[in-house]
Amino acid sequence: MIQTLALLHAAYRELNARKLFWVTLALSGLVVAAMAIIGLNEDGLTILWWQFDLAFLNTKIMPVDVFYKFIFAQLAVPYWLAWLATILALISTASIFPDMVSGGSIDILLSKPIGRARLFLTRYVTGLLFVLLQVGVFTIAAFLVIGIRGGSWEPWILISIPLVLLFYSYLFSVCALLGTITRSTIASFLITMLFWLLVFGVNSGEQVTLAGRTALEISLGYSQEDLKEAVDAGDPIEVTEPLQVMCDEDQESLDTWKSFHAWFFTAKTVLPKTGETIDLLERVLRERTGMEVGGPPERQEMMFGANQRISNREFGERLQETMDDRSVTWIIGTSLLFEFAVLGLVCWYFSRRDF
Amino acid sequence: MKVRFCSGWFSTGMIGRPDLRAVHERRLRRSFTAPMQSMQWVSEQSAHSSLSLVKALSMTQSSPLSIDLKDVTKTYRGGVFALRGVSLQVHPGEIFGLLGPNGAGKSTLVKIMMTVVRPTTARGQVLGQPVGHNGTLANVGYLPEHHRFPPWLTGRQAVEFAGAMCKMPRKLRRRRTDELLELVHMREWAKKRLGTYSKGMQQRIGLAASLVNDPQLVLLDEPTDGVDPVGRREIRDVLTHMREQGKSVLVNSHILSELEMICDRVAILVQGLVARQGTVASLTSSSRCYEVISRATPEQASSLDGVEFESLGEGRSLLRIPSDDPVAIQPILDQLRSSEVMIESVLPKRESLEDLFVRSVTDPSTGVALDPGANRNTEADVRSFETPSSESPDGGES
Repeated sequence: MIQTLALLHAAYRELNARKLFWVTLALSGLVVAAMAIIGLNEDGLTILWWQFDLAFLNTKIMPVDVFYKFIFAQLAVPYWLAWLATILALISTASIFPDMVSGGSIDILLSKPIGRARLFLTRYVTGLLFVLLQVGVFTIAAFLVIGIRGGSWEPWILISIPLVLLFYSYLFSVCALLGTITRSTIASFLITMLFWLLVFGVNSGEQVTLAGRTALEISLGYSQEDLKEAVDAGDPIEVTEPLQVMCDEDQESLDTWKSFHAWFFTAKTVLPKTGETIDLLERVLRERTGMEVGGPPERQEMMFGANQRISNREFGERLQETMDDRSVTWIIGTSLLFEFAVLGLVCWYFSRRDF
Repeated sequence: MKVRFCSGWFSTGMIGRPDLRAVHERRLRRSFTAPMQSMQWVSEQSAHSSLSLVKALSMTQSSPLSIDLKDVTKTYRGGVFALRGVSLQVHPGEIFGLLGPNGAGKSTLVKIMMTVVRPTTARGQVLGQPVGHNGTLANVGYLPEHHRFPPWLTGRQAVEFAGAMCKMPRKLRRRRTDELLELVHMREWAKKRLGTYSKGMQQRIGLAASLVNDPQLVLLDEPTDGVDPVGRREIRDVLTHMREQGKSVLVNSHILSELEMICDRVAILVQGLVARQGTVASLTSSSRCYEVISRATPEQASSLDGVEFESLGEGRSLLRIPSDDPVAIQPILDQLRSSEVMIESVLPKRESLEDLFVRSVTDPSTGVALDPGANRNTEADVRSFETPSSESPDGGES
């Protein structure tokens, strides 16, 4: 316990010494301040003392507390915490393991009565301290803003702390592996970014193929209904045959999309689900606080696919239903499995390596 | 039972006006006098280690030696034979010097003892526990070469961190840190960050950090690197006092003159093998002689049995008598006097540690120093320079 506390204390001192930690914290403060100075009233948006009359954004359309939760869950967390702040955190923490295993430093640590695996894992946890402090301060500040400005004291907001921490830990485990193997801060940071890009690519691919599959499933449903109605009505073959062809084409396309989607889904299952972990915040807020943000005005026709009968709302709802069917256990469980596998690998490597 | 600081040590009071040396001695005394808490802590550590290792101890015979290594080998990838069967022993209350050219395997050997490097094969014990036993490290101090504490830590924080990593209770490590900072003359700088320190100052902090756990055995890799002459003398004093308290010190250094001053025994490592091991006196005994500067002529010298003659010019000559026994040279001196040869000086001479070192790393067949670095040939192809010496139990070379 003394050793663990000493390592945590040293990590805290390290954070204090890093300018980027304070820069990131200051930027987080600016983001929260930006949230605080924006207001919503019956006429539209206010920024400080300026009024911007907006017909599509006012308290008649969206309650003020939902407005702030929306900013927090849809803008501040995904774009600031899970994107820009994460890059800053990676830049700041990528050097932890290369520094630790550098000559002269690792000798001091390994010559103490502490197991290598425990040493590595404790250092890993101390690396997460950076994000924990950043997210903790940011979220608590946002919680206060939503409470004071939005009039809604919503403790579920704080769920973003463990979620963002989890999200970061997926990437940091890869960064730790690369830092230990390459002993290079730049290499570990850049390859981690590439890995993140890969995860993003796989996730995007899965989302696109899921969208295509969903659209075709809806379309096929309509085509089959039309065909059934025509057959039931005893329409001539000149009417039913094109419908049958349309059904067959939709089925064929659907099979292709399903096939592509299955590949992406398998890849996604193995990889950490960064995007979906962050999206859990919105899901929690939606389920626990009733935060419902109205979508864009319904358009009768959608751009995706050949079938022009699918509404955006219907498509969005089906897609959302599919996404919501993915359990938290699957999202976090499989991601943690990936993280544990990476940590296990790096622990094994660290324990066997000569320094 | 572990050897602890005894109260009788330094029991004689300082009489008269203290000089700087006396002040330093007092610092040492404060640092190394056994505090009750320190004893309790060590006892707890010992008890903890003992409990967890009862089974191991019952199966292996504990060595009375602080370091008792046998046949330690280390082969790195690519067939680099860093160590090729090193055996060495360090006794309690001994300062042991580990010498060798660059790449001889000294640091690898030390790192193996500190579990930083895993040996290919290793038998033997460190402080009575098998090599690589993690718990033993609580009783070992280590100052690596080119050590690097995080630059954002202050000197005090670095020493305290080292103590905490050795599981020392907070109060004890704080007090111990105070004592050691004073001992290495870094108290004034204790609150400054290490990044602002000079090399020598960092070395002093490193030494303090290696001693914070009140270790029974200290392994120091180039401890005086970058330290000024006064600091070097202070470090030597610290090591000498540790020896007098029954602790063992293994010093790895290239500054042979310093080692010669403080080491009880040395081992010279060459290409991963112990080329020589023993006391400095025993290792240099074969080179001991008396040098007589006189006005003897070559003809007069030729009549003296076993005496080497060397002309110094202007009628002066150097006679080298291969004996370290003053009684044995008297007949030769008598013979010179009876021949009315004027004797200017008679001096006992012996090989320095540096001479011994150079002799050890020189290939006797070619007279050329062996290349630095570890051996990359197969073990069968290894160039033999001299048969590694073994050591008699009394510490002398055999």
